[in-house]
Amino acid sequence: MRINYRARASFPLLALTVVASLAVAACGGGASPTPAASGGTGGALEGKITFLHKYSDPRYAPYFEQVVAAYKAANPKVQIEIQAYGDQDVKDKLRVLAASKTLPDVYFSWAGDFTKKFVRGGLAKDLTADVTGAWKDSFTPAALEAYTYGGKLYGVPITLDAKYMVYNKKLFADNGVTVPTTLEELLAACDTFKAKGFEYPVTFGNQYGWPAIHFLTQLNPYYVPAATMQKDYDPLSGEFTDPGYQKALEAFMDINSHCLTQGANGISHEAAQAQFLASKSPMHLIEAVEFFALTEKGGAPADLAANWDFFKLPPPASPAGDTGYLEGAPDGFLVNPDSQHLDIAIDFLKYLTSLDNAKKLVADLGWLSPVQGSATADNTFPQNVTVIEDIAKAKGMAIWLDTVTHMYVANAYLNGAQAMLDGTKTPAQVMDDIRAAAAQAKAEEAASPVPTQ
Amino acid sequence: MAGTVARPHYAETTRRAVASSIGRTVAYVMLIVLAVAVIYPLVWMFLNGFKSNAELFGDPWGLPTTWRWGNFVKAWDLGVVRYLMNSVIVTGASVVTTVLVSALAAYALTRHRIPFAGAITVLLLGGMMLAPTVALIPLFRLLRAIGIFDTYLALIVLYTAFRVSFTVFLIRAYMITLSREMEDAAIVDGANRWQIFWLVIMPLSRPIIVSAALLQALFAWNEFVFALVFINSGDLKTLPVGLLAMQGRVLSDWPVLFAALTIASIPMILLFLAGQRQFIRGLSEGFGK
Amino acid sequence: MASRLGRWPMLLWVAPAVLLLVVFVYYPVVENLRLSLFRWNAFSPVDVWVGLDNYSALTADPVFWSSLFNNIAYAVVSVIFQVGGGLVLAAVLEELVRGRLKGFFRTVYFVPAVLSLTITGLLFQFMYNPQIGLVNGFLDAVGLGAFKHSWLGESATAIWAIIAMSQWQSVGYVMVLFIVAMQRIPRELYEAAYIDGATRRQAFFRITVPLVREMTLLAMIITISGAFLVMNEVWVMTAGGPANSSHTLGTWLYKSAFFNDQMGYAAAIAVVIFVITLAASIVQLVINRGKTVQY
Repeated sequence: MRINYRARASFPLLALTVVASLAVAACGGGASPTPAASGGTGGALEGKITFLHKYSDPRYAPYFEQVVAAYKAANPKVQIEIQAYGDQDVKDKLRVLAASKTLPDVYFSWAGDFTKKFVRGGLAKDLTADVTGAWKDSFTPAALEAYTYGGKLYGVPITLDAKYMVYNKKLFADNGVTVPTTLEELLAACDTFKAKGFEYPVTFGNQYGWPAIHFLTQLNPYYVPAATMQKDYDPLSGEFTDPGYQKALEAFMDINSHCLTQGANGISHEAAQAQFLASKSPMHLIEAVEFFALTEKGGAPADLAANWDFFKLPPPASPAGDTGYLEGAPDGFLVNPDSQHLDIAIDFLKYLTSLDNAKKLVADLGWLSPVQGSATADNTFPQNVTVIEDIAKAKGMAIWLDTVTHMYVANAYLNGAQAMLDGTKTPAQVMDDIRAAAAQAKAEEAASPVPTQ
Repeated sequence: MAGTVARPHYAETTRRAVASSIGRTVAYVMLIVLAVAVIYPLVWMFLNGFKSNAELFGDPWGLPTTWRWGNFVKAWDLGVVRYLMNSVIVTGASVVTTVLVSALAAYALTRHRIPFAGAITVLLLGGMMLAPTVALIPLFRLLRAIGIFDTYLALIVLYTAFRVSFTVFLIRAYMITLSREMEDAAIVDGANRWQIFWLVIMPLSRPIIVSAALLQALFAWNEFVFALVFINSGDLKTLPVGLLAMQGRVLSDWPVLFAALTIASIPMILLFLAGQRQFIRGLSEGFGK
Repeated sequence: MASRLGRWPMLLWVAPAVLLLVVFVYYPVVENLRLSLFRWNAFSPVDVWVGLDNYSALTADPVFWSSLFNNIAYAVVSVIFQVGGGLVLAAVLEELVRGRLKGFFRTVYFVPAVLSLTITGLLFQFMYNPQIGLVNGFLDAVGLGAFKHSWLGESATAIWAIIAMSQWQSVGYVMVLFIVAMQRIPRELYEAAYIDGATRRQAFFRITVPLVREMTLLAMIITISGAFLVMNEVWVMTAGGPANSSHTLGTWLYKSAFFNDQMGYAAAIAVVIFVITLAASIVQLVINRGKTVQY
């Protein structure tokens, strides 16, 4: 076979061109933020920021897209890139971004030690001087407090949330059960329901571990004195030696045996909620931000939407702790101190938490906003209004146990609760793990250098 | 074959025939049961995409009452196709680069005596033993320093780097067996190295090139950890990561998730059905040598 | 020939491969070793030197050992079902099934292997759902309702449920590899054996198995090394839970780095994975030396 080599010399060149163009396409597909020139003086803002939130759920994402679009319309020279994640994958994504030093300009963070981690790492800007005057006064003080550390404010809250037990009023009435005011009454109510044929009086799905933690978050303040609890939740002084902690774990296991769905470790929280929506389970422990799903506008069946109400998880008859604490926390955003456009970042947050946008949040998503006056009987369903009053009455907010404490302690609680439900660990063993985790956290925090901003 | 063999006794032949047909029936039954066990989950996945949430919970085994194509539209809108396209781009590009880089290296190693050949071979050998997971954490800082964090290029480069060793050895094992006649003829005709490589060696190596490309495609298509960690922009997510993100988003509308899974599966299944003959032949000829 | 074309310029041909390997594979592995000697995480501004503390923590960590056990379980089950099962399936298909039916079965068994692991992981997450999943539903339907479990929600069953899913996905792939190898075996060998009065089973063990030895080795390497690197399907189905019972080394590494804020520790796990895969590769090389199949 004779091949004319000279004529075919172009083949390798062709191949190389193909590869090269692929490479160019690949490079072009990258999305790296452009460091732009700083904003104008006093006039229109200019530049690009990235905005990360954990509300990628198709029910919530549109709200943020609309607010961003409106902001861009008002500030034509500003670009905002939204990075939307889900509740679970935002947890590892934030670490990936922090470790690679590519944190967005504005990013979501839970209140508690979760935010404090960013503060300790010098990754959150001190906003005390930025959130002032009328803007500052528009917030419920408790919401700002949750993002304040060492007297300085680091985050801007955008939602207010609390945890309640929702119940099916019709099922309660039909089965002669009244709303329980103590834990013992709750257990008795569950027994009554079981006797009447309800397999799981309180529907429960613990797939990622946090639903069990949310029970414990409310139980801990009931069994442990407030001052002790605050001390233990701080990584530098955490010990968890108070016997109340173990009592709280045992109380949870009591609730589990009387009331909760079995095999919950393999069921997601949302799947469990389907049982409540179908009126198969009379109770479910959920957050106020989820109340919207129980309304007709939110997609619930009509007979349920007209027939539900809520009560706080009741304390035991003789609590050692404080019954005035309500489980809940704001959700909010932090600002990256290395942002090239701090002015835009802060201005955008101010816009996001303006009264109009707060009202839109309440009306569109059924959430509660920390901006005062944003939720009235006109723009939201009646249960939400009651929640606001309830939060106002609370002595303090008990922030979610898996974000308020150091990661090691949070993990000990998360894994411990799953293990208890699984039958592989006892409350006493879980307490041992928690104490060991607290000791390790204390040792590491004490040894780590703390940056100054 | 020649030679006489004593014929077995008649009864024995019958017994063996009966036993063999019983055995054959049993085997067929098992094959069919296995086939059902393999395919049914996929059928279930497909049907669930048409149900409503209530139907899914109420009657998981049954057929959907109405065929809700809306779920598929929703899944489409949520971006399944973008994830597919990203996977196609990254897989396609990495197949080209891996096969190219590996073929070049294999050619140089087998047909020429280059300096440091021994050391290079050991280096390539060692590369086969190093797993991607091990490099995950340091690669952070490295990719950031090079500036390709969160780009297609990051994945393409990594997929190539981690598969080049295996592919070089694969191609090399085949190239070694090629006879030198055609090469010598080409040299006599005045061809340079490039031309020999492209016009003689590569065509002759087609079977192993195909096998290498298929194996690389399978790896890149399924690669998860790097895609999870090094890509943050929603626009660039590949299929494995994008679908997982989707699960986190549609926490309460499961039929839509099933619809998304179905949409994501169809291209690959169709591709395979269309190309399975070539695939098997590629594997067969490639591994046959 | 070589001398006429020069020697040094050929280095350019291997340069891309070598460069890629050194920069993206070798350097990170060495750097990973260094990073495992520090304590640091995504939020720490500086790396704190801790020497071998991460390794001693590793040996004392029950999750590390249960992860290692899970990987080993993965490897053992995969070899039995994928290599063993694949071999038997391939033999059955080649021997007993004719023509188009053979192609049909082959296609059916192979289809799961072309699906992304995330797809199959998510699908099986639903399949194992205690309330609406097919698995529990099937057990009910055949009267084995007593065996129902929350498959992914119980420590005792979670990892086994995941391993089972892996077999469903991959048996077909290994089967095809064996079919490819078996097609190279000359028919005459079988015919001679049958004329001599051999049963199918004898033919399988005396002819088929020895002659696909190379492919068996390759299949074992693929499944065993895959078993130690498994991460995707476990992460998608359980994220290592419940209570860290279904972690594999890969997922525990990821969780330590990106959830537990312990990147130095994760680097130490990576070093362990490295040692294991290195050992496996060396064993493979040693066994493979000079072993070729003669027909």
